[in-house]
Amino acid sequence: MPRIKLGNWAESAVGWLNAHLSWLFDAVNTVLTGAYDAVHAVLGAPQPLLMAGILAVIAWWLRGLPAAVAAFAGLALIDSFGLWDQATATLSLVLVASLITLLLAVPLGIWAARDRRVSGALRPVLDVMQTMPAFVYLIPGVMFFKIGPIPGLIATIVFAMPPGVRMTELGIRQVDGELVEAARAFGTTPRDTLTRVQLPLALPTIMAGVNQVIMLALSMVVIAGMAGAGGLGEAVYSAVTQVDIGGGVESGVAVVVLAMYLDRMTGALGKRVSPRGRRATAKAGANRPVNLLRYRPGTAVATVGIVVLALVAGGMHLAGGGGRESVAAGPNVGNGKHIKLGYFPWDEAVASTYLWENILEQRGYKPDVKQLDPGPLYTALAQGQMDVQFDSWLPTTHKQYMDRYGSQLSDLGAWYGPTSLELSVPSYVKGIDSLADLKGKSAQFGGKIIGIEASAGMMGKLNSTVLKEYGLDGEYQVVSSSTATMLAELHRAIDKKEPIVTTLWSPHWAYGTYPLKKLKDPKGAWGKGEQIHAVGKKDFGKDFPQVAQWVKNFHMSEKELSSLEAAIQQGGKGKEKESARKWLDARPGLMDKLAPVTS
Amino acid sequence: MSSTREVYVSRLRAEHLYKVFGRRPEAAVQRLRDGAGREELRADGITAAVIDASFEVRAGEIFVVMGLSGSGKSTLLRMLNGLLDPTAGRVLYDGRDLTALSPRELREVRSRNISMVFQHFALFPHRSVLENAAYGLEVRGVPRAEREERAAEALELTGLGGWERSWPDELSGGMQQRVGLARALATDADLLLMDESFSALDPLIRRDMQDQLLDLQKRLKKTIVFITHDLNEAMRLGDRIAVMRDGRIVQNGTAEDILVRPANDYVASFIQDVDRTRVLTAGSIMEKPDPERLDPERPGGSAGEHAATVPSGTPLAELFAPFAHSTAPVAVTDERGQLAGIVTRERLLAALGEQPTTEVTA
Repeated sequence: MPRIKLGNWAESAVGWLNAHLSWLFDAVNTVLTGAYDAVHAVLGAPQPLLMAGILAVIAWWLRGLPAAVAAFAGLALIDSFGLWDQATATLSLVLVASLITLLLAVPLGIWAARDRRVSGALRPVLDVMQTMPAFVYLIPGVMFFKIGPIPGLIATIVFAMPPGVRMTELGIRQVDGELVEAARAFGTTPRDTLTRVQLPLALPTIMAGVNQVIMLALSMVVIAGMAGAGGLGEAVYSAVTQVDIGGGVESGVAVVVLAMYLDRMTGALGKRVSPRGRRATAKAGANRPVNLLRYRPGTAVATVGIVVLALVAGGMHLAGGGGRESVAAGPNVGNGKHIKLGYFPWDEAVASTYLWENILEQRGYKPDVKQLDPGPLYTALAQGQMDVQFDSWLPTTHKQYMDRYGSQLSDLGAWYGPTSLELSVPSYVKGIDSLADLKGKSAQFGGKIIGIEASAGMMGKLNSTVLKEYGLDGEYQVVSSSTATMLAELHRAIDKKEPIVTTLWSPHWAYGTYPLKKLKDPKGAWGKGEQIHAVGKKDFGKDFPQVAQWVKNFHMSEKELSSLEAAIQQGGKGKEKESARKWLDARPGLMDKLAPVTS
Repeated sequence: MSSTREVYVSRLRAEHLYKVFGRRPEAAVQRLRDGAGREELRADGITAAVIDASFEVRAGEIFVVMGLSGSGKSTLLRMLNGLLDPTAGRVLYDGRDLTALSPRELREVRSRNISMVFQHFALFPHRSVLENAAYGLEVRGVPRAEREERAAEALELTGLGGWERSWPDELSGGMQQRVGLARALATDADLLLMDESFSALDPLIRRDMQDQLLDLQKRLKKTIVFITHDLNEAMRLGDRIAVMRDGRIVQNGTAEDILVRPANDYVASFIQDVDRTRVLTAGSIMEKPDPERLDPERPGGSAGEHAATVPSGTPLAELFAPFAHSTAPVAVTDERGQLAGIVTRERLLAALGEQPTTEVTA
């Protein structure tokens, strides 16, 4: 069987598209960004509780008072978690994605319902859209559309489209054939048959599709958060990767609140717009005594309520505007220039990135900090959509990215080193001090080495070199999961004093938190330690000559880095910037040492 | 238009209609014309639904097409208003070939001249009774006030006055079909196609609806093509009846023609269970009156004793009562009230016991 190089073809296709159709992607990007920004501006403008009030009035209008109260409570809860901004970002993304999805899906569904061939051709495409793991197209999405909400938006549209198309098609096909025949028998044109008979009768099914679209969009938006779409997805993701259980639960609950709100509202809207639903409402409303719990304001009343709240919100926004500006301290050499810092949630990356955010802000730059996975981040840097990141482990761990994108990146030099990769066991595991000692002991560890992401460089190295070197390859199975899972497993095992072998690296906060010992590597199978580099986009030196100079001279000792990491760890999630700032402020002179200004 | 009406006595005329489903339908029609059978085609995956159907429907008559399911009668009906395109043959409505019309012209004909009543009513559930009845006019673009007035009149006609604001699913089956009928009548179409329109109703309601249709027909004089699988219904409603079997029209005639002279064994077996007393009339079994008993002096009657005097269209069922009291014959009169013949007790019993004889008709 010859190797079918589908992957290569796809890569060339992506390359070709990127080279030749960038104008198209730019246009799409502009339109989508505009739509997203507009919706986000509207949703984000009012004070959180006021916006919650507006959404509660909508709930009142659609479902009644109990729903309104529940909606308000849920949304207020999100605000109290400090996740309001993320929630409005997510909501905006969901609304824009759903709207675009429906604009595409409903006509496609209609077309498919009227033409068997179209239906047949669409089916496999929809299957692919629904089942292809989202990351497969999230990454090309980043290449085409720049890092930010748009790749997430595109991925969401792709993922949420199938039920919209399918339910529209199903709804129309389900309309009794005799009714369609009756319409034709009275001389109805095909177009009128669609608008007067098929669509009204298919509406309940189509609305169920709309509901599905919105719910899928929400679930996808969370995943897209990992590729820089921001919002609650990013909050969930960063909480999970930092084993911040509490933060994870809070962001998760925020997602659930949004999901329930959107689900109930679209469900009620479906009843409201379908002809039979309207009729039932009209009947029920005709002769029923007024009951506050069941009372629902009419459309006019609800509209007035929303407008009043919106006006209040607008007024408050104008009055309160300008209060949030922070004052930059020290010499301003950045002149407000935006600089995009990317990081993936490794502790030294978080530490160095937030440190630099503070430094750059104090020097008059406007740093934007964004969390991404390594793959998307390197892609974004190579595309020039990100300016710099600080956590490039070279020459081994991130070799694959440098091999791939090296020519499109600029290496700003190492700021920490050497690092080391190792397998570690809890210190209560006796008699195992080096990799060689693992041989014949697999039963003790269940034959498993708990690894991290399969994509990590050290995982490849472990499987291809280290295990073979010590003759462990038949004996141990490397379980790839994620760093968060590995750390959770480590935490659990140590709690119960169970033996465990994990992949780990230095520097890592786990060494300060848990009693661990690094297994010696007498044969040097892991290779030499690595250096942590800062890597910029290709033109970084040209765009930010001063910053490039500072970063090239940047260096941290193990002591400095571990104290910074500890400070950030203690400061807690969501306060990384503040913690780094305190750490920096507590070291007079460091600022000028790291970012000297000649004047 | 009026001049063409004079030329074409028939309102609707089907000429050698074929409908074949499957691959290469035209070739299949040629094979059928060359004598191939339906089964032969079926083996090739081709369904010949209607084979060489020709008939005429006169203005103002109820023409019933009767056959079992799968006989092709519904397919035939749908070719009459172009819902299905005939594979071969022509449909002439007032001399105009409907098969040659553009889709737009055909829609125009459907919205003005031909309307349809369906087996399962096919009312639009998202429209009120009034909106349903007004549907055909709405499609035609008649202004709301006018179409609602005419729809309300049609509902009144079918006995549904006062139900305008109700919804279809609030009505019983019979009432729903009255809405279906009103929808068809509201457009003032002359030709009504009724596809098993009463088959979904329970027997009592069905009978009511048949009565109402006959009653309406007396007043409105529409031209109606009525599809049914129920022979009694066919006999009751049809001025003329076409019996279909396996896609072909096997006999076309009045109820009495079919009952007294079934064209073949199939029709004969079909009519076995018919209540002959309700279909056969006094006129169809009467004998020449006994000349001796003829009394030319008495207008409209004959001399001697008669159990009763009835018009020739009286069903046999109504002759039992007179014979219960008298052995004398019943006198039968023609339209002008002149004595046309007599029915004796023996003659009545013989007619009821008679097995239909199969005649070979060309």
